[in-house]
Amino acid sequence: MKKYLFLFSALVIGFVTLNVLSGFSPLQTKKPWTVPDAFKNKKNAVASDAASIAAGKELWSTHCKSCHGAKGLGDGSKAAQLKTEPGDFSKADTQSQSDGSMFYKISEGRDDMPSFKKKIPEQEDIWNLVNFMRTLKK
Amino acid sequence: MKNSNINNTWLSGSLCLVFLLLMVSTQLSAQGDSTAASTAKAAPVAPKPVKNTFQSVWIIDNQTVMVPVKGTFEMDIMHRFGVMTHGYQDLYGFFAPSNIRLGVDYAPIKNLYVGIGLTKTDMLWDGSVKYAFLKQTPRKYPVSVTYYGNMAIDSRKDADNSLFKYGSQRFSFFNQLIIARKISDKLSVQVAPSISHQNSVPGYYTGDTSNLKVFKEMKFDHFALAVSARYKVTTVTSLLFNYDQPLTRHATNNPNPNLSLGLEFNTSNHSFQLFVTNYSLLSPQRNNLYNTNSPFDYTNSVTGQKVHGGQFLIGFNITRLWNY
Repeated sequence: MKKYLFLFSALVIGFVTLNVLSGFSPLQTKKPWTVPDAFKNKKNAVASDAASIAAGKELWSTHCKSCHGAKGLGDGSKAAQLKTEPGDFSKADTQSQSDGSMFYKISEGRDDMPSFKKKIPEQEDIWNLVNFMRTLKK
Repeated sequence: MKNSNINNTWLSGSLCLVFLLLMVSTQLSAQGDSTAASTAKAAPVAPKPVKNTFQSVWIIDNQTVMVPVKGTFEMDIMHRFGVMTHGYQDLYGFFAPSNIRLGVDYAPIKNLYVGIGLTKTDMLWDGSVKYAFLKQTPRKYPVSVTYYGNMAIDSRKDADNSLFKYGSQRFSFFNQLIIARKISDKLSVQVAPSISHQNSVPGYYTGDTSNLKVFKEMKFDHFALAVSARYKVTTVTSLLFNYDQPLTRHATNNPNPNLSLGLEFNTSNHSFQLFVTNYSLLSPQRNNLYNTNSPFDYTNSVTGQKVHGGQFLIGFNITRLWNY
């Protein structure tokens, strides 16, 4: 009996180790996303008032929520199918980025993250989204 | 249009709504109007058109005032099951013969949408044009106005010309002016007068040989008025309402009005609408001209018999958008 228990434990530990090394580890390493300086320093053209945040929330619900989740925790209904981890927008990693950087990433997209510059053609709306994303900070 | 009292009530109600839409100049609250956000920082910025009066080009069986942004390609899948009146016998219409339309649309330039579609009933091809020439703008235009028109061709095989004597009889046309107002962030209303034209109508000779007359069962042109509304329950879910009132009186075969209620769910690329409606033909001119399902009880003008209404059917619209 002890022999089988040992074998079973070894299999479980081996399986978990393999998963951690192969399957899970790439998600932990984030691919750097370089933002051009022109965008990094771009000033937010829309004041962060209630109207802008509400407009941003509406856009978020339509375009972003299914992957990033209602509160930006990266737990949307489609998140599990993504090859790229959607990230936790409530944390400093995202919130420390400039408005311009967020604007650039929403506009241009990368890998699983689609480009929204055609779907959301007005820059003002992307700024509204940025203003809403600031409210996700914990 | 078999019950004139109902018609008059709805007609006057509809006209009141048109009046209200045009006259009410309530300012939109800032939430749905991006202009408010920009003006918060810089006062002299010119007002911008209101956005998202509707979130789909369809509101059940009618077009909305919306024209998607330039470069948008859309695919439509529309389905109408059978009427629900047979109950379990055909599972409330789900197992009854259904009607389907497949369509594609594209916005080649700003404010213009062109489309083509094929409907199962009578293998009806349609080509459409939609142009938004006025957009509701705070302190400038109280309403949005869009034109929608289409031409449809009945493409059924007719080798012995038993259906159509001339090719032109296969054609029908639809023209509609859509006037809409986003009254608040949640509520949008539109009214849409339309004219449907059929190139041929059934008829027969009356009188004796010395004085032959042609009796036409219907007129070639048919006027109607559609009233539609959307109420947003959440940012992506809405309640839909639609009512179509025939206005033209024909000698016989008067079409019934249409009442529809439904739900709309929106995602980044899709719009799903699930509803009950009286219309089943998936072509605006055919629905307006030939609808035999009635929401209300009425008296048949020819036989004098009372006919029960409530002839609703379940349907859905799915639209998929791509941006190029």
